[in-house]
Amino acid sequence: MTPATSTHCPYCALQCAMTLTPDVGGVTVAGRAFPTNRGGLCKKGWTSAELLSSPERILEPMLRQPDGTFAPASWEEALDLVAGRLAAGRAEHGADSVGVFGGGGLTNEKAYQLGKFARLALGSSRIDYNGRFCMSSAAAAGNRAFGLDRGLPFRVEDLGAARTILILGSNVAQTMPPFIAHLDGARKAGGLIVVDPRRTATARLTDDGAGMHIQPTPGSDLVLLLGLINIVISERLVDTDYVARRTVGFDALRRSVGRWWTERVQEHTGVPVWQLRELARRLAEGPGTYILTGRGVEQHADGTDTATAAINLSLILGLVGTEHSGYGTLTGQGNGQGGREHGQKCDQLPGYRKITDPAARAHVAGVWGVHPDSLPGQGLPAVELLAAMGEPGGIRCLLVHGSNVVVSAPNADRVRAGIAALDFLVVCDFFFSETAALADVVLPVTQWAEEEGTMTSLEGRVIRRRRAVDAPAGVRSELWIFRELARRLDAPGVYSANPAEVFDELCRASAGGTADYSGLSYGLLDTDEPAYWPYPAGSTGTPRLFLDRFAHADGLARIVAVQARSTDAPAQVGGTLTLITGRLLEHYQSGTQTRRVAELLTARPEARAQLHPATADRLGIADGGWLELSSERGTVRCRAEASADIRADTVFLPFHFAGDECANLLTDDVTDPISGMPEFKKTTVRVRALQEAGARA
Amino acid sequence: MPVPERIVLVGYGPVGARFVEELLPLVRDGRAGLTVVGAEAADAYNRVLIAEYAVGHANRDDLEITDTSQALDAGVRLLTGTSVTQVNRSRRTVSLGTGEQLPYDRLVLATGARANVPTLDGVKRLRRDVMMPAADAAALDSAEAPLPRGVTALRDLDDAHTVLAAVQAARRIVVLGAGVLGMEIALAAANAGAEASVVYHGDIPMGRNLDRGGGAVLARNARRAGVTMINHSRAESLLFHQDDDGVARFDALVCADGKQIHGDLLLLSCGVGARRELAHLAGLPVSTGILVDEDLRSWNDPDIYAIGDCAHVAPKPAAGASSALPSGGPSGLVGPGWRQADWLAARFAAEIRGSDSTAGLAPQRSNVVMLKAEGIDVVAAGDIGPEPWDAEGPQAHTGDCPSAPLSVSQWADPEHGRYVKMVTRGGILEGFVCVGMPRTAAELTLLFERGSELPADRSVLLRFDGPDYVPTAGGDAFAPDATVCWCNGVTVGAITDSAGAGNATVACIGAATRAGTGCGGCKTRIGEILTHFAQ
Repeated sequence: MTPATSTHCPYCALQCAMTLTPDVGGVTVAGRAFPTNRGGLCKKGWTSAELLSSPERILEPMLRQPDGTFAPASWEEALDLVAGRLAAGRAEHGADSVGVFGGGGLTNEKAYQLGKFARLALGSSRIDYNGRFCMSSAAAAGNRAFGLDRGLPFRVEDLGAARTILILGSNVAQTMPPFIAHLDGARKAGGLIVVDPRRTATARLTDDGAGMHIQPTPGSDLVLLLGLINIVISERLVDTDYVARRTVGFDALRRSVGRWWTERVQEHTGVPVWQLRELARRLAEGPGTYILTGRGVEQHADGTDTATAAINLSLILGLVGTEHSGYGTLTGQGNGQGGREHGQKCDQLPGYRKITDPAARAHVAGVWGVHPDSLPGQGLPAVELLAAMGEPGGIRCLLVHGSNVVVSAPNADRVRAGIAALDFLVVCDFFFSETAALADVVLPVTQWAEEEGTMTSLEGRVIRRRRAVDAPAGVRSELWIFRELARRLDAPGVYSANPAEVFDELCRASAGGTADYSGLSYGLLDTDEPAYWPYPAGSTGTPRLFLDRFAHADGLARIVAVQARSTDAPAQVGGTLTLITGRLLEHYQSGTQTRRVAELLTARPEARAQLHPATADRLGIADGGWLELSSERGTVRCRAEASADIRADTVFLPFHFAGDECANLLTDDVTDPISGMPEFKKTTVRVRALQEAGARA
Repeated sequence: MPVPERIVLVGYGPVGARFVEELLPLVRDGRAGLTVVGAEAADAYNRVLIAEYAVGHANRDDLEITDTSQALDAGVRLLTGTSVTQVNRSRRTVSLGTGEQLPYDRLVLATGARANVPTLDGVKRLRRDVMMPAADAAALDSAEAPLPRGVTALRDLDDAHTVLAAVQAARRIVVLGAGVLGMEIALAAANAGAEASVVYHGDIPMGRNLDRGGGAVLARNARRAGVTMINHSRAESLLFHQDDDGVARFDALVCADGKQIHGDLLLLSCGVGARRELAHLAGLPVSTGILVDEDLRSWNDPDIYAIGDCAHVAPKPAAGASSALPSGGPSGLVGPGWRQADWLAARFAAEIRGSDSTAGLAPQRSNVVMLKAEGIDVVAAGDIGPEPWDAEGPQAHTGDCPSAPLSVSQWADPEHGRYVKMVTRGGILEGFVCVGMPRTAAELTLLFERGSELPADRSVLLRFDGPDYVPTAGGDAFAPDATVCWCNGVTVGAITDSAGAGNATVACIGAATRAGTGCGGCKTRIGEILTHFAQ
């Protein structure tokens, strides 16, 4: 009997606990009791082990040949080649000609080591990661308001006691299904409120008196929130004592929302006045109100301001930093939280420190054993980093870890063109993702069940990922790869391939920072005692943040007045519609993994563009028929799904698919000026029916 | 460092304040010096909410819409409680009531509008002659309105205080005029416990904005809300009684048919007129407002601009063209004024910084009018005159292209206070009326403002407000394709198939299909399904 291993799901930030038991022909997955998932798993979790033995797995380093095909090579050969090319590129074009692109699925250890590797071994400032496309707006808003960004500054199970939960732009019932058990209390109290242009599975949880679904036109979230703030203020629902004790900036907020009286908000959002008032009053009713934001409201060129407005609403209602209420953002990727704390971001050093802060540089340089001046400065956020590929003075060599940028980045064709212009692309992955397929070198790496490490969940809880099975013989962990490359590059500093040692170093590097892990160790985490950061040495961690003070020097939260920029929506005539993108239950991110699980692919084999039957009818598109969506940047061809669940002015495409069905062929790479978040959720497209025959070239 | 451009703004209402906010970066950079002259002593406030303030539903600080301290910190010179007596175009200065002469390079007029006072026997009416001397123009705006005791308009804070006193005493309020503001104040006053009547000429309230059907449903809804609606009534004179101090006070409004409507307060709600005297005296062309071209520039002085309620935007006629004044005029709504303020500030910034000139101000689509009243939803916009059975008129032509015919769809349910009319051309709204159907109204507003195409089946738009509004035909919880377990995407059909294969318990179903193995929230339903299909 092989021993069972306690670990967590490889996919989303809920990090459901699971037990893996190797048996004949594979690994058996079972749910395990844990506060976030209470023993349950979704379809993705149940089928996750299938990928360990996938026939498509890459089992040796692969080098592109002159004829364009790939051929296997030894690690020695591959690493020598990579190190040689990186060193030559750096010598010829400068350190910043080498870029590094990370991912929110990497363990804390890998994310940390990646940042260190980029800055010390490569000497490059040009590192960023795909979390820029996920959490950057909420993170920027949280840092600005609270002085600290932990997605949920409370425990997931705290939600169970709430009477009212407002979910803005998140379809948790499909993206992290076991989460919805925590909504039961609010549903029983009739207080689950879901804001989404689609009547999603999550919106349906409000049916039968469980709450209210609010269906605004895409891109109007900021106006909606400013309108709610206006109602809360004008109906005297503000927690004035809390505002006075714990915040600054209220007066400017009050004046700034004066222009968003309720009827005007209706005019811009399509949400009727009575719903707005009912919602605002319900939020203020207490006891126990949570406001949660997701990518639907954050993935916009005004995403930081929109998240800020949600925070402002929470602050004036006195929700944040209490035992019973709060504001949070629902982190998406498996280590989307930890991945944004330890140095993968272009402006950041471990411990959520700013790379521009001299004290932070001195501390981290000390831990790394180098002079602070040897650390590069601030780099470029993801969209700019990718746009710099092949540009003069831009990126000529790129390393990609845990990301599939030609599917997941906006304006996908431009990214593909940028990659084509690179001198050298190295991708670490398990499979030939669409990005790996373009690489010069592909290095096969371990999957979650084959490695040790830590992840930090959406509630800021640091948990252990444990090895259940051995990796295939030719596969290596990224930590080993960094060590081997660093050695070949004569890099300063130490690069351990042992996750526990890397974690200890990470903890030291984070000491005194915002995300302080210095009191943690594998020994402590292995006791399965809950460990929420900040967890400075000598403490027992912080399940609930901000109970006494916020993280700014004066302990007060910042209410930052924000304004909606006026945008004239295009006339929706002919086939002009607003495109929003999002996820399906069966798939995860760019689909590199889930499109290789038979059960998931069978259930959702292709992208379907969801549009309203009245719109489909008007455009002559049949349910299940072929259609074409086009923007100034690209064209998608796929089948239609007619559904009255979506607004008539909106079309939805899942972003898990590649090729002709890649939603990001259409999206724009315009970004939020503060967070660098692209505009994913408000793209003007033209939609037309395609003839059945030869619909797809 | 270039010499700062001297900009003078006359008027510090909502539109003036917005212009100031948008111009602040230029002021902070030292590229512009901005002086603001406002007649009212208070900072800019939100006039849109004046009816709510006047019945005590909004507080004074709810009306604040701008952070004046930011402007002052940036170096803006703000002169509130100060009147402008004259614009001296040849010297490019304005004269203030204080005697000061302010030089300008660019002058922006945002003088707004004032309430119209109708001709009524018993009300002294200052002649609103454009040739009136400046001193009298100022008097028109003075706090001491020349109205008898118990008679007020509703335009500024002082008026609102008069109304508020009456409402708080639960007095009888007679509103003359059934426009948007008149209806809002009457409904709000009734809601606040006062006795309110609305007296108006025509057949229906909001006659400028609504068609007969919409107006009739609104009148009915207003009556249900406790407002006495008195139509077909031409007000002629006032009756007074003596207050204890011997001063005459309003007692009743007398109509042309001899009917007397008694009350404690007469509220005149007869529209507004642009404050254009200053411009006219300076020799600028005016009509119903100060005439400005599409760049908001006076027709005959390139250094003077007008925005907001005082501005009448119309193309400047070519030299030698007919001298007839253009039709149209200020919209009286704040939204278009703010767009003008934003655009003009951006244009100034571009010109002064020498950057690329901004795009032209997009023409405003016809305005959407929305009644603000709790529980009564009225939204209307555009051309709402045509009726479903109108004979097909001569085909309209745009240039050489014949345009599509107008078509009208209508839904009337007076008993339940609901009415919708959609006037479309080529599937695109030219106008609409929507009463008593808030979600439909919100959707129609978006469709109208964007110029978007309506569904061919217009009835799709009528269903949003139904009690049964569940978009998917998912009423049957036992339909085979209804999802039961969201975590694992398991349908009723998959569960019944599994039950048919011998899985008789919730646990067996879970093992076979994974239904119920996520959050567990659907286990009860799985049990129900097993029971349902076992029967």
